[in-house]
Amino acid sequence: MSMEEQDLLRSAVKEFAQKSIQDKALKIEHEGVDKALLQSLASQGFLGARIPEKYGGSGIDLHGYLTIVNELATFSPSVAALVMLVNSVHAPLIGDSEPEVMKKLASGEATVSTSLSDVLEGNFSATSLKKNGSNLKGAVNLSSLYRGEYAIALNRDDGHLYLFKDGVKGVEEDSGLSFRGLSNGSLEIDSSDYTVLSEKGEDALKAVVDNLDLEVAALALGTAKGALDKAIDYVKVRKTFERPLKDYGPVASALSRHMAEYLALSSYLESVDENDSRAKLTLKVLSVDLAKRATKAALQYHGGYGYIEDTGVEKFYRDAMGLSILFQRPHHDSMRLSKEIFGEKSGYL
Amino acid sequence: MDFDFPEDIVNARKKAQEFARKEINSEMAKKYDRLEKFPEELRKKAFEYGIIDYQNPWSMLVTIEELCRADAGLGISATVSLFGAEVIMLFGSDEQKQKYLSMVQNGDKIMGLAVTEPGGGSDVAGITTRAVEKDGKYIVNGAKMFITNGTIADFFVMLIRTEEVEGKRHHGLSAFIVDSDLPGFTKNKLSGKLGVRATNTAELILDNVPVPKENLIGEPGKGFYYIMTFFNISRAYVAAQAIGIAQGALDRILEHLNRLTKEGKTALAEEVQFLASDIATRIEASRLLAYKAASYLFQFRPNPTLTSMAKAYASETATFAAEKALEITGYSGITGDLERFFRDSKIMEIWEGTSEIEKLIIARNLLKEYAEVNQ
Repeated sequence: MSMEEQDLLRSAVKEFAQKSIQDKALKIEHEGVDKALLQSLASQGFLGARIPEKYGGSGIDLHGYLTIVNELATFSPSVAALVMLVNSVHAPLIGDSEPEVMKKLASGEATVSTSLSDVLEGNFSATSLKKNGSNLKGAVNLSSLYRGEYAIALNRDDGHLYLFKDGVKGVEEDSGLSFRGLSNGSLEIDSSDYTVLSEKGEDALKAVVDNLDLEVAALALGTAKGALDKAIDYVKVRKTFERPLKDYGPVASALSRHMAEYLALSSYLESVDENDSRAKLTLKVLSVDLAKRATKAALQYHGGYGYIEDTGVEKFYRDAMGLSILFQRPHHDSMRLSKEIFGEKSGYL
Repeated sequence: MDFDFPEDIVNARKKAQEFARKEINSEMAKKYDRLEKFPEELRKKAFEYGIIDYQNPWSMLVTIEELCRADAGLGISATVSLFGAEVIMLFGSDEQKQKYLSMVQNGDKIMGLAVTEPGGGSDVAGITTRAVEKDGKYIVNGAKMFITNGTIADFFVMLIRTEEVEGKRHHGLSAFIVDSDLPGFTKNKLSGKLGVRATNTAELILDNVPVPKENLIGEPGKGFYYIMTFFNISRAYVAAQAIGIAQGALDRILEHLNRLTKEGKTALAEEVQFLASDIATRIEASRLLAYKAASYLFQFRPNPTLTSMAKAYASETATFAAEKALEITGYSGITGDLERFFRDSKIMEIWEGTSEIEKLIIARNLLKEYAEVNQ
């Protein structure tokens, strides 16, 4: 997709988000993405952006897809994360093995509860499902979209990664730190209709997570931009000691520097070569770092108002932190980056 | 120079730790956080246990630290029911002390401090809530925002404008005790806070609220000075809250690393060790600053530069520690206590004077001292 086409697509996503997300961003945080929004995302071609057209997806190229994730995140990182999960986690894992499921995903007719927790760093509890006759049964820890019609989960007992097509029940919502609009919670599974997506389930899940570099970068940059936009608007009108906050050097300087970093990284993202593993990883590392710093500054300059959800800035702060834990393996990424730079295994002591 | 606390303060810390172990746990903290519910039972238990004694500020300082180490939302809620009492202690009349302080010192009643206004924040001198004398009372109109204990306090120490003084905004402000059951007094609970969600926070609306004249604290027009004096004290307590959060985060990092070691994982990666060392060092530095500031304060010779340094540095240490702790512990942190510590810690850099305000105070005092020395 050319730069011009990316700009046009960005305008379309922005217009959609202003109409369909902006006013209900807080509701999304509380109640999750509803079916109506899911289907609107689908009808615009955003939900199944990378899903092949034969399954009803849009088949958009990588840069177009990143533009969608990035722009949606400026309004709601949760909605952007949902699109990322569908296109970069569910679709690659399910692939051609379940055409009907893929069609339902692209159309927003169904969602897939997904637990990446088994391959995330710092997790001590592994999912373990037991055979009960022909059924597989057990509990699954923190899953995104816990009310989904389907579920993808790793079974530590046999090492396989499964797609469960029945017997999936969301049991307890856990609003947690981040991406509350994804409706995170735990699952109970008692399924007789399931498919093995991979016999090397852990490797498959890790590969998917490690392949999210550009998506996470796009999401992080959108999250930073969403917070910075709010802060810049706020400091123009908010007065303290009878002057707008923007007139104070430290405020203007901090927000400007963060925005300048955002612009530089966005420009890098728009033209990055998808086969350049070092560039992709660099973008992710720097973008997530920026998101954490920029959202923190944006919240700080809102003062007490930044600390309450009505203002709409604290969610960016929470999501930026969650992004660095829930959709990547930071220690592993450090090793990857060191290997890219040194050309051999480094930094492991 | 002796850096050790006297035995009674060491014992106060031990008693607070004991109380925290018995009465505060992760499940409870999670529940009150989720429900945004004030833990009234816990507050009462803290009084019954004998750990709340604002007559002994050193004891309170270490108690706040230890309870926030267990959980900031619960710890602050259990220790904040006398918020603003020092204004009455230092500047109130004997009658006011007798009538109001006696009610809160034993835990029967709760009080609050109402200074911040919608659109106000750090700019305390910009207060617009007004009191006008009429028929032997002050009639108060205006609004207060982000008020701790807002819907549960029985009375507030409130900063109100009683006079407009051209060009001197901090003049003409007076401090009052305002009972919360007076006619025209409305309290709206603020929900959806990022953190410290067990604490009670509200917006107060005052619509022709009749405040008795005898509820004026000290002299009219001196309110700004009284409140600034109070902030000097409360900032030391906020530093203690922040140190507690940072220490709690470090406790959980060490627990995590210990667990990793036992499981033969890469617990001792040097990068992680460096971070844990940084956090521990910053906590120690925060303690030294806070205790030094408190030692001046509690000997009635406050040093605002030190107090602001302690508050700003400890607050930034709390957010640094909570953020790094989450990064180090990853999934177990985000599904455990640390995600709450991360959310709770951010308020430390905002309330009782943002970090920016503290830095302005520090710089202005340094420049003033420089000018005095070099005159």
